[in-house]
Amino acid sequence: MITFAAVSLIYPNSTKTVLENLSLTIDEGEFVLVIGPTGSGKSSLLRLINGLVPHHTGGILAGDISVDGISTKSVKPGGLAHLIGIVGQNPINGFVTDTVEEELAFGMESLNIAPDVMRKRVEEILDLMSLAPLRNRSLATLSGGEQQRVAIGSALVMHPKVLVLDEPTSALDPIAAEEVLSILHRLVHDLGITVVVAEHRLERVIQFADRIVHIDGLGNTRVGTPAQIMSDSDIAPPIVHLARALGLEDVGLTVRDMRRMSEEIRGASYSQKIESLQISGENVIELSGVSLSFVNKTVLKDINIEIRAGEVVALMGRNGAGKSSLLKTIVGLHECSTGSVDLLGNNPLTISGTKRRETIGFIPQEPSDLLFGQSVLMECEQADRDNEIDKGATFELLNELVPGISPNTHPRDLSEGQRLALALSVVLSAKPKVLILDEPTRGLDYQAKSHLVSTLLRYARVLGRTVILATHDVELVAELATRVIFLADGDCVADGNTLDVLLSSPAFAPQVAKVMSPQPWLTVKDVISALEEN
Amino acid sequence: MNTSALVRFRPRTLFVLAITSAVSAFGFIWPFLINAKSIPMASMLFWTASAFAVLLVIIEISNESLDAKSIALLGVLTAIVAALRPLGAGAVGIEPMWFVLILSARVFGSSFGFILGLTSILASALLTGGIGPWLGYQLFAAGWIGLFAGWLPKKLRGKPELFLLVLYAIAASIIFGLLMDLQFWPWALGLQTQLSYIPNGDLLTNLHRFIIFHFATSMAWDIPRAIFTSALILLSAPAILGALRRTKFRAAFVTPIEFVESKKVAIERAKELKAL
Repeated sequence: MITFAAVSLIYPNSTKTVLENLSLTIDEGEFVLVIGPTGSGKSSLLRLINGLVPHHTGGILAGDISVDGISTKSVKPGGLAHLIGIVGQNPINGFVTDTVEEELAFGMESLNIAPDVMRKRVEEILDLMSLAPLRNRSLATLSGGEQQRVAIGSALVMHPKVLVLDEPTSALDPIAAEEVLSILHRLVHDLGITVVVAEHRLERVIQFADRIVHIDGLGNTRVGTPAQIMSDSDIAPPIVHLARALGLEDVGLTVRDMRRMSEEIRGASYSQKIESLQISGENVIELSGVSLSFVNKTVLKDINIEIRAGEVVALMGRNGAGKSSLLKTIVGLHECSTGSVDLLGNNPLTISGTKRRETIGFIPQEPSDLLFGQSVLMECEQADRDNEIDKGATFELLNELVPGISPNTHPRDLSEGQRLALALSVVLSAKPKVLILDEPTRGLDYQAKSHLVSTLLRYARVLGRTVILATHDVELVAELATRVIFLADGDCVADGNTLDVLLSSPAFAPQVAKVMSPQPWLTVKDVISALEEN
Repeated sequence: MNTSALVRFRPRTLFVLAITSAVSAFGFIWPFLINAKSIPMASMLFWTASAFAVLLVIIEISNESLDAKSIALLGVLTAIVAALRPLGAGAVGIEPMWFVLILSARVFGSSFGFILGLTSILASALLTGGIGPWLGYQLFAAGWIGLFAGWLPKKLRGKPELFLLVLYAIAASIIFGLLMDLQFWPWALGLQTQLSYIPNGDLLTNLHRFIIFHFATSMAWDIPRAIFTSALILLSAPAILGALRRTKFRAAFVTPIEFVESKKVAIERAKELKAL
C-alpha cells in the first residue's frame, strides 16, 4: 500500500539528513508504529506519506514514495486526499466547523461528493465511531477523547485507504487514549485500513502494532516486529525494561505475557521490608474545609489536606474531578467559596510580587502560557532580573535540565519537553518553597520525562521543597510521588502514601505493579533492589 | 521547483486593479471635476467599481496563486481585524484595527495588504451592521491603505522602521478621514448651506468649501484616529512584526523543493543551496 524506496530527506537551509535511505513497504491493513526521540523526524516521515513534505515545507527528497501506486512526486497533497486521512496531535486545532455532524461533512464537501452520499456516510461514521449520541454537540464541549474520535471520523468519511496519525493520544488522559486506540485497532481488523501512528507512550500502543519503525536522532531507521525492535531499543515501555532487568530471554509486550514469564520470580517469598519514605518537614500548606463552586456547579467539596515540606504529592483522578481547580485554589487563582487556604502563613490570594515568586511557583498545563519572550535568552534574562540573581543563572539552570538549547530559539519553536524545561527553569530560578505542576508530562517523550523526574526529585529531596502535581501518568507517580491524593467529583476519596494508594486499585496501578502483583513493587528499580536483597 | 508563493498580483491583475482604482478614485473626487446641473448619480459609477474590485478578489482567490497557506493567513488576519473593529465602537474614529492591517501589509506585501483591507472591511461590516452606501468607499480606502503599506521601503528595521510606520499610520488615518468626508459631503448638507457642494460651481470654490467642511466636522475624528493608531503601532509593532515575520518564515513560502536520485546527490544539493 505504501512504499518507501531508499528515501532520504533534507530540509531547506540545513544540510542535516532527517531520514537516510529508508526502504519500507507497508501492506494493506497493517498497523505500523513509528517511534523515536522528539525531533528525530517521526512527523516528517508521516508527512512524507501524503506529500505535505516536501510540497508544503520545501526540502530535498531522494528516492521515491508511492501510495497505492501513486508517487508523491507527481501529485500535490490535495491529489492524495481521497486516499490518505491525516490526524494531528491536538484535534481542536484541526477543526473547521462547530458541530460534530458539520465537521464530519466538511471534508466531503471539499471533495465535491453528492449530498445523498454525504448523508449516508455521515451516518455510517457516526455509528462506526460511536458518535451518534454526540451528533449535534458543539465540538468545543466535547472531551479530549471524543474530539479525537471526531477528528478520526472526519478523516474516515473520505473512505481513505491509509490513516496517518501523529501522536493521536499524547494530549489525552489514559482512558480517552484507550478509547482512541481501541477504535484504531478495530479499523485495522474490521475494515482493513492501513494505519501509521507516531507515538511516545509505548505502553499504550505497542500491543496493537504489527511493525515498528524506529528512528534514531541521526536519521538512521530500523524496521522490525515489536519483539525485534524492543529487544534492544532505547525507547521502551516499563515492562520491557523490567524484562531486560530480570534477564528474561524474550521481552513481553503485554502484562499478560510478562506475568506468564515472571511466575517464578513473583511467586517466591521476600522479606517484606517496605519503607515508605517518612517526611517530617513542617506544614507548608493547610487546606481546611475548602469548597469551590462556579455558577451552580460545585467543583470541590470540603477538602481538608495538610502538606509538608519535602513531600511530592500527586493529585490523580479522571478529567473534571477537580484536580486543576484544587491546584489553582492553592496557587490563589481561584478564591474558595468556603473554608480557608493557608500557604506558609499567608493567604495565597493576597501575596504578590517577589514574595509570591519565592513562595509558590505554578506551571500550567500549557507551559508556553508562561513564556512571552521573543527568544529563550530573553526569557531567561527576564527571570534573572525579576529574581535579582546573577546574570545567566537561569540559562545555566536550563542547560542543566536540558543541555543544548540554542539561546536564540523562539520559545514556540522548542519541542514540548524543551518548552517545559524552559518554563520550569524560569519558575525554579526564584526557588519557590512550593512548586505546582499541572499535567507536566503531556506530550513528553521518555527521555524528557526522566529529566523531569530527576529534576523534581532533586528539588524535593535535596532542597526539601514541596512539589504538587496533577497527573494521569501512573508511571510518573510511581517514580516520583511520596503521597497520592485521589479526587473524584470534587471529593477527596483517597489520601495516602503512593504504594498503598496505587496498589489498592488495579486499574490505576503502574505496569510493573500489574505484572508483579501481589508483590508490592511499583517500578523496575523497586523490583531490582528487592531481588538483590534476597 | 518551489513551494507556492504568498499571494502576489500578476501584471494582468495589477492592470485591472489600476483601472478599478482609477474609476473609484474618480468616484471620490468627482465633485471637483464634473460640471453638472445637479448632483449626478456618481454613486452608480462607484458601485460598478466596487463590484469590479470584489470580482478581482474572487478571481485572485480562485486562481492558483492563492494557495492554502495564503488563504489560511488571510482568513486568520481578516478575522482578527474584523473582530477588533467593533471593540472601539468607532466613536471619534477610534477603531483598533488599522494597525493590524498596516503591520500585516508591511510583512506580507502589497497584494496581500489590498486583499486583506477588502476582506476585513467586508467581514467587519457584516459584524457591525455597517452596510450602506459608504461600504464601497470604505472597501477601497482600506484596500489602498494595505496596498501602500506594502510598498514602504522593505529594508528598514528597528527604530527607523517604527518611525516610518508611525508616519504612515498618521498619514493613512488623515487621508482615510478626508476620503470618507469627500464621499458624503455632496449629500450631507443639502444645497443651501455655506459649506455645501455647488453643482456646476468652479473648482476652487468647491475645494475651499470642502476643506472648511472637513475641518469643521471631522478633524475631531481624524486626529484621535491618527493618535490612537500610531500609539498602538508604537506599543505593539515590535511584538506583532516579530510574530508575523516568524509566521511568514514558518509557512515556508517559496522554498525549494527538489527530487533527486540518491542520498549523495541530496547532500551535495543541500550544500549548494545553503551556500547561495
